[in-house]
Parts: sequence; structure tokens; C-alpha cells
Amino acid sequence: MKRIFLALLRRILGGFALLLGASFIIYMTVRAAPGDAIDAISPMGTPPEVKAQLMAEFGLDRGPLAGYGVWALRSLCGDFGDSLVFAPGERVMAVALPAFGRTLLLAGGALLVCLCFALLWAACNPGGSRRSQLLGASLYGVTSAPSFVIAVAFAQAVNELVYRLVDARGFVTPSWYPIPIACSSMMPYLFAGITLILSDGLLIDLVNYLRSELQALRRSPFIAAIRAKGARVTGHLLKNMVVPILSAYASRLPVVLGGVVIVEYVFTLDGAGYVLLEASKNRDFPMVVGLSVLFTALVILVNIISDVVKGWLDAREVAHGG
Amino acid sequence: MGGDHPSQECKAPSTPGSKKLRSLPLGLYLSGGIVALVFLLGLIAPLIPYDPAAAVDYQRQLAGPSWSHLLGCDGQGRDIALRIVKGTEAFFWPGILAMTIAVIGGAACGACAGYMRGWVGQAVRGLMQLLDTLPRLVFIVLLCTILDPGMYLIATTAGVLFIPTIAAICRRKVETLASEDYILAHIAHGFHPAWILGYHILWLQCRPLLIRQACTVFSYVLFVETALSYLGDYGVQEPWPSWGNMVAQTREGVGFWPWFVPAVMIVVSIAALLAFGNAIARREEAMR
Amino acid sequence: MRPLLRVRDLTVVFDTAEGQRKVVDGVSFAVGMGETLGILGESGSGKTISSSAVLGLIDDTPGVCGGEIVFTQGDHEISLLEGLDTCVTQRPDGLYVKDNRRWMQHVRRVMTPIWGCGMTAVFQNPRQCLDPLERIGAQVEESVGLAAPHLTAAERMQAALDWLQKVQMRDPLRVYRSYPHELSGGMCQRAMIAIALARHPALLIADEPTTGLDTTVRAEIVALFHSLIQESQASMIYISHDIREVLYLASRVIVMRSGRVLEEATSEDLLLGRGTRHPYTATLLHAADLPTGQVSETV
Repeated sequence: MKRIFLALLRRILGGFALLLGASFIIYMTVRAAPGDAIDAISPMGTPPEVKAQLMAEFGLDRGPLAGYGVWALRSLCGDFGDSLVFAPGERVMAVALPAFGRTLLLAGGALLVCLCFALLWAACNPGGSRRSQLLGASLYGVTSAPSFVIAVAFAQAVNELVYRLVDARGFVTPSWYPIPIACSSMMPYLFAGITLILSDGLLIDLVNYLRSELQALRRSPFIAAIRAKGARVTGHLLKNMVVPILSAYASRLPVVLGGVVIVEYVFTLDGAGYVLLEASKNRDFPMVVGLSVLFTALVILVNIISDVVKGWLDAREVAHGG
Repeated sequence: MGGDHPSQECKAPSTPGSKKLRSLPLGLYLSGGIVALVFLLGLIAPLIPYDPAAAVDYQRQLAGPSWSHLLGCDGQGRDIALRIVKGTEAFFWPGILAMTIAVIGGAACGACAGYMRGWVGQAVRGLMQLLDTLPRLVFIVLLCTILDPGMYLIATTAGVLFIPTIAAICRRKVETLASEDYILAHIAHGFHPAWILGYHILWLQCRPLLIRQACTVFSYVLFVETALSYLGDYGVQEPWPSWGNMVAQTREGVGFWPWFVPAVMIVVSIAALLAFGNAIARREEAMR
Repeated sequence: MRPLLRVRDLTVVFDTAEGQRKVVDGVSFAVGMGETLGILGESGSGKTISSSAVLGLIDDTPGVCGGEIVFTQGDHEISLLEGLDTCVTQRPDGLYVKDNRRWMQHVRRVMTPIWGCGMTAVFQNPRQCLDPLERIGAQVEESVGLAAPHLTAAERMQAALDWLQKVQMRDPLRVYRSYPHELSGGMCQRAMIAIALARHPALLIADEPTTGLDTTVRAEIVALFHSLIQESQASMIYISHDIREVLYLASRVIVMRSGRVLEEATSEDLLLGRGTRHPYTATLLHAADLPTGQVSETV
């Protein structure tokens, strides 16, 4: 128990160090702006007092390390300053956090559905036969398309087939539309979710990964031994698949978060990806930096959680110094 | 002891056999052909003169495919086929650059992290972990906000951000191989560690993995370039063509061919690149 | 008396890069009630594949392609390979084509009542043969529970501990709470033996159970097999490349090479040099440095 606790503590400290390192990279990128950094990072026509405040917030009036210290201390308390253009005068965190929650729900949900489908597919098509090869190839062709292409094709198809249901930039409800308004406001999220599942090669990647894990597991000697003693194999298979499934989820989440940035922008969903791109277009610096740090922190957090759960399920992980 | 033979017990072959071998070439040739075509277009594109202003001709606006314009014309009467060819310029050399950076950097860092035990290895492992936490697209957007960079800088960043992925794969391979008998035998025979690491492990053993990853990186650059150009604020700007900003013409709501052709090109190229990497890697593995 | 297991003309084929290869080619043998049969052969002789075929554990294509396996359970004779000819066809060029999916379903249906209580197995590499995510105790208990479903949890635990005691674990309670990766290979093999015997099988197939273990541990494991099999009066097929182990445990021995049975003899005949002997068997005996005529002392 004590060993597990120590491993957990070490993992959390390591994650914190990673966050510091990553935020340092982000901070140094900001400072690398050409010319006078403060002019580069403030939008056109910013009044001088706002510029001075920005300068103090980002520690641009000090050396790189001292400046990072000032900025990191404030960021640690969740204070990324005020938004400049996207939502003028509002705290960055007040805008970013709710948007981030929606994005997480969308990305996490889509990945979960995708994972379930991939698991089902991998279990039903163990590979080898011509039929499963053909099925795999067709799945491959469709799902390796980038998200924005799928989104555009989706929108165009719906546009052509159903009377202007979706505009490439938003959702239009025609008068005859049968679904109640409350539900139809959820429709773009549904479309975005389907787009995420079907794009960026996510599905085929998961299918391949899970299939090879499942195959290795089915061929492993202990499954033969369990068969030979006359016990049911399914429970043991499932239990041993939990760790690969979990690490698949944790390692693919950053990929989906990349996809979500574009999908949200295409479907104009009010999520972190949309906010990020809009803020970036309008050079709203505190917002962009705050969101970048949030995205990074999420990736680190998910990795820690998956490591901890893995260590809890599989005693070998802790023994090998995880 | 009687009959303690060093040869392996006769077990079933790990790849279920000849059927898989026979079905390989079709996928390999198909995807290889498409990849070769894309590379050829990328190579010849700079040789073709293109004047964005002169290409506009409202007389033939939205003309369908014909012999003089194989794929038809877009909303401003520009030849789609020519713009498709010209659009390869935007990602071809950046893609090659990113591929080189990612593969060389990844192999070197992976070998260091797997082989070196001291603080150097520790530092490389830490750096890899650090780079791995930066979400790629988000970081590229951040970079675009600050620097307003060209495709080459974006491709370099993408290449660097792919280093940890490749390094992790190489490292795992190095770590498993380092304890194998034949590598130990090479060390005992007095070969230089750098030679063993570079030739016997990275070149002979990791090559299929590296090829697969190189194709992944190239397809990622293609994806980032077209995505940024599609979003419109970064990447290639009109009137210069990119497959991405050609797809973006849907926003003007014009016709079918102007957005459909580049969309198909993007999907087919990315699928072919990934399939080609997989097929080559699998063939190299099957030949062992 | 009817034999417990009868194998006739067993043929197993695998796909390789160079085409199909018969790894087991017309093997026949029989195991009587309460008898221990030894299968002796070097690596690649097909002895492991033959036993996997008997157990119905070959997943690869085409796998088992011909022959007959008859297993006696209670008063019934069960033909394990019945219906094989409907799944396998031999093409004019000699290649075997098999509907593996249908065959695997058939195997599961036939073998499910036999696995465990009819025949069970102990394999080589014991550390990889235990579920890495479960404690040893839970795995022994699973076996105990299958053999006696009416037991309460406490009784099951007691039975599992008894079994661990029976396979001469020094500290059964600690082993009960351990994961496989925390134990040595010898300990894991003892646990495997406990798991197999807890189901009271009619036939135990021991497939090179001592490979990869230290010499002293090997001797202990072999002695364990000897005492436990005599106690439970089960039949056993003991597969090994070590002629001493086979002669010690088995009353009858078959010698295999390149997928064929070269010779079948009683252990006594082999040791005392009675009857004609295949040159290969003579080489094996010679390599083991067992001078004929004096072997009874060495064993």
C-alpha cells in the first residue's frame, strides 16, 4: 500500500514538473516573437496602459527566467489575465474553463464511442480472412480522411440531400423540421461527434491496435492453460484487455483534441477549439496562451490518471518502478 | 543432459502464412503508385509557370470537365487540374523536411534514451516526455499566432513534435534488443557500440518502423497544411492554390467539382501514404 | 480394458513461408487407464504439437488435418476429431484448406466437457502460463470451484491452501496472496500442478514441465509428479527431451523425430537393452550416458 502511495506521489510530482517544463516552452515561444515582443503580442490599437499591464503579466520587462517565474506564479493560481479581443474585459479562465468542459465532453465522448466500436470490430473480425481484410481496407479508406474534409463532405451531403439543414458555418432549422428546437440545438454536437469518430484515421488506428493486442492475448500461453483447466476464457480476456484499452484512450486523447479544434471551428461550436482559433485570429494573447496551457495540463492529467489506474489493476506496473 | 538442443521448438509460424504474403503486393502497388504520383507532382510543380492573376477567366466560370480543362474550372474560371498540381508545392518540400527531422531526431533520441544509462539518457528521456505533452495542433496554432510563420517553420515544428513518438518506438526496440544474445555477442566481439546501435539495431531492426513513421509524419504535414489553409487565417492564402483553400470554396457555395476534387486528393493521398508505410513495413517484417 | 486415450494417424499441418509443412505425420499411440506414457524427442520433433492437438488447443491454420483421437470419459467413448473431414479438403496440388472458424466452434463444443475434468495440461514456461493479473490463490480457487461448485468461499480458500500445501509450497499463505511475477519459475510450476490436479483429471498432459528450471528444482518437480500421480491414480502423458525424466516417470515410452513415431517400448526394455532398438534411440540413450544394464541404479 505504501509502495503504491509513493508511486502515486512520484507520478504526480513528475506530472507537475512536466507541466512546468511545457509551460516554459510555451512562455519562451511567446518571448521569441520578432521585434519588440509587446508590440508583436498585442492587437492593433491597444491603448498604452493595457500594453503596460500585458507587459507586467507576461514579465516581459524582466529577464527570461525571472519573467517566467512571475508569469508561472500567476498562472498557477489560475490567473491568465483578461481577455483582450475575444471577450473583452472578462477573465480568461472564466471564458476558457466552461468552453474547455464542453470540448472535453465532446472529445472524450467521441473517443469513448470510437473505442467501443473499435473493440467490437476487433473482436468480431480477428483478421486473416479475405472478408475482414476487405472490410478493413474500406474502413481504412474512409476514416483516414482529415476531419475538415469529412465535415465539409458531411455538410455538403446534408445540404444537398436534406433541405439546407446544415450550413458549412452553422445549423439552420427549416420550418418543417420534426425534431424539437431543444434537441436540434444538440444536433451540431452530434454531427461534430460523428465527424470526430470517422476522421483522422482514429478508428482504424484503434482497431489495428486493439486487434493486435487481442490476438497477442489470445495466443498467450496462459489463455491456453485456462482453457486446459476447463475455465471460461472470456472473463480473463476482458480483465487483461482493460490495461491496453485504457492506454489506448489516454494516448489517443491528444489526437482527438487536435481534431476537435478544427471540427468545432467548422461547425461553430462554442468550445475551447473554436475559442482558440478565434482568439488566435484576433491576436488575443492571454486567451491563446491560457488555452494552450489548459490543453497541455489536460494531456498530463489524463496520462497520470491512466498510469495510476494501470498500477492499481496490474501489480507488475508498480513493481517495475512506474 | 540428453538432447538439449539450441534450436527453437517447432511452433506455429508467427504470421499465418502464405495467404498474407500473396495478398500484399496489390495494396503495396496501389498505394505506392499514388504516393509516387503525389511525389512526382510535387517535384514538377515548381517547373510549371503559374500566374494567379492571369489564371482568372470569368468566361469559363464553373465549367465542367472537358478536354481542355480535364477537371473543369472553379468559380473564378481557374483550371482545377492546374491548381491541384500547383497545390502540391505547399506541402511537398515542407513534408520532406519534417520527415527528415522527425526520423533522424527520433532515431537518435530513441537510441540515446534506450542505450545510455547515465544522466544523458535521463535528460533525453525527460525531454522526450516534455515534448510529448505538447498537443501538436494547439502548439502549431500558438506558434502561428505569435510568428505568422511560413509552411517551412510549421513543418519543422511538426517534425520536432513527432520526435518523441518515433523515439519511444526506437527506444523500446533498443531496450529489448540490447539484452539479446546476438547483440551481446557483437559487443563481446569488440564492435564499436555506435556501429552496433546505428547499423545492427537502427538500420536492420528499426527500418520498417521508421519507414512507417516517416509516412505518418508526411501525411501529418499534408493534413496540417490543408487544414490551416482551409481555415483560412494561416497557411496558403488566395490567390495561391492549396488543396486546403480549394476545399474552402464550399463557403462560397460554388458547384461540386471545385471542392470535391481537392477533397478527394487529400483523402486519397493521406490514405495512400499511411497504407504505403504499413505495406512496406509489413513486407520488410515478413521477409525476415 | 479399454485405453483412456487412443490416437491414430494424427496429422498436423502448418503454413510456413515455404509452403505447407507436416509437423506431425501419422502419429499413433494409446494411453491406458492409470498409465504414464512418456513421449521423448528433441526440439522440433512434433511432440508438443501432438499433445496440443489432443487437447484441441491448436489455433493456427490449417492445424489438425487428419487422424482419429478417441477419449474415454466414464462409459462413453468420445471421438474428438469427428467431423474433421467435413472441414478439411485436400486440393489436387496437395495443399490442405480448412474452414478454421467452423472447426474451432466444433472443437469448443466437443472439448468443453472434457477440458479440466477429462484431460488437462501443465505447460513449459510456467510464469507465462498463469494469468498475470490475478493472485495465485484466485487461480487455484477457480479450479477448485469448477471441480466442486457447492463449496462456500471459506471452504474454497481452505481447499486451495490445501492444494498449495500438497504441491509442497513452503509458505502456502504467502503464495496464495502473491502474483505470478513475484514467484520463481519452480513455484509457478508447482502452482500450475496444483491448478491442474485440483480438477481431478483422468489424464494429465505434462508438456516439458521442467524446461527452463534449475537442476535441483527440476528434480523436485519430477518427484512431485511421481508422488501426486501415484496418489491420484490419474493417467499421464509426460513429454520431455530429457530421457532420464521420461524413464523415471513413464512405464512406456514413445520416441519421436521429425513428426513421426520412431519406436515404442516399455521403459524396462529400453533400459535393459532388450529387443531391437532404433539407432536414434540408441544415440539418445548413449548421449544421456546411461550404461545399459545398470540403469536401475541411476534412476
